[in-house]
Amino acid sequence: MKVPYSRILVYLDGSEGSINALMYSILLAKSTGAQLHAVYVVNTKALGDLVRSHIFVDQEKAEYQADLRKDASRHIRHAERLASSKDLDIVTEVIDGSPHHVILDYIKAHSIDLLALGPVNVIRSRRDELTSENDRMLRTAPCPVIVVRESDDIWEEFGEV
Amino acid sequence: MTLLEALDKNLIRVPLSSADGNGVIEELVSLFAKERNLSPEEENRIADSIKEREALGSTAMENGIAIPHARIEGLDKSAVVIGISRLPVAFGAADGSGTKVFFLVLAPKDNPSEHVQILSSIAKAASSQLFVRMLLSSKTKDDVYQLFFE
Repeated sequence: MKVPYSRILVYLDGSEGSINALMYSILLAKSTGAQLHAVYVVNTKALGDLVRSHIFVDQEKAEYQADLRKDASRHIRHAERLASSKDLDIVTEVIDGSPHHVILDYIKAHSIDLLALGPVNVIRSRRDELTSENDRMLRTAPCPVIVVRESDDIWEEFGEV
Repeated sequence: MTLLEALDKNLIRVPLSSADGNGVIEELVSLFAKERNLSPEEENRIADSIKEREALGSTAMENGIAIPHARIEGLDKSAVVIGISRLPVAFGAADGSGTKVFFLVLAPKDNPSEHVQILSSIAKAASSQLFVRMLLSSKTKDDVYQLFFE
């Protein structure tokens, strides 16, 4: 483990919490000199599972996949704009697959030494099937993980409020 | 928003009184509309969206569960409305079996990621035979709600 960190990865899922984690990661990368990576995973695994269980029809899967890609592009552009506002280079990528598997593979492939996530759920159920992707990443990431809580201060720092 | 965050005890009906598929959709949408103080026009618009989606292909699975759903223009947050019928309802399952458990999922138009996550969580939960048996034996909305949080 390297301290301070040399490569930080932030996982984007389209939620406000992940934007919060992104902004925190930008400030952290800026202050430590680390390289920042941002990855949005289009959850094609879930789309495929929904078709197999008859919850989605093929046409619906195609529509959602297109919408998720648009959502991914929008969030990646936003990440690039926020990083640029702090004069920071950012490596961005949109990847298809199962979010926690994609992120774990990315960590290994790019020698990431810190994963930044938005909030994880309060434990309200012991049912494994209700575990969120953030929870899975937190539990299985091979590197240190930072969980970024909601904070108005970060949004003010970026002039996003 | 996760499935657990979307669950609301006031959006659970046990037992359902409708005996046919469209009736179940209307009963669940009506419960949602009353809880959210929607106008009759908005209620009809939501019910029509669900029926149009079901017309493309039934969301009934072969284990007695159906997950009718739609993305709704103007909806501020996702909602999951649960209904359990005492008698099987014909809802178009591929094997011709009836459906007793309905998860009606409504999501805002602009958040596809959240909608997929909620549907996926329900599908995973529904794949557990034990969970389905416990759902089917639930007698009250409190029983159903507790099942998710134990």
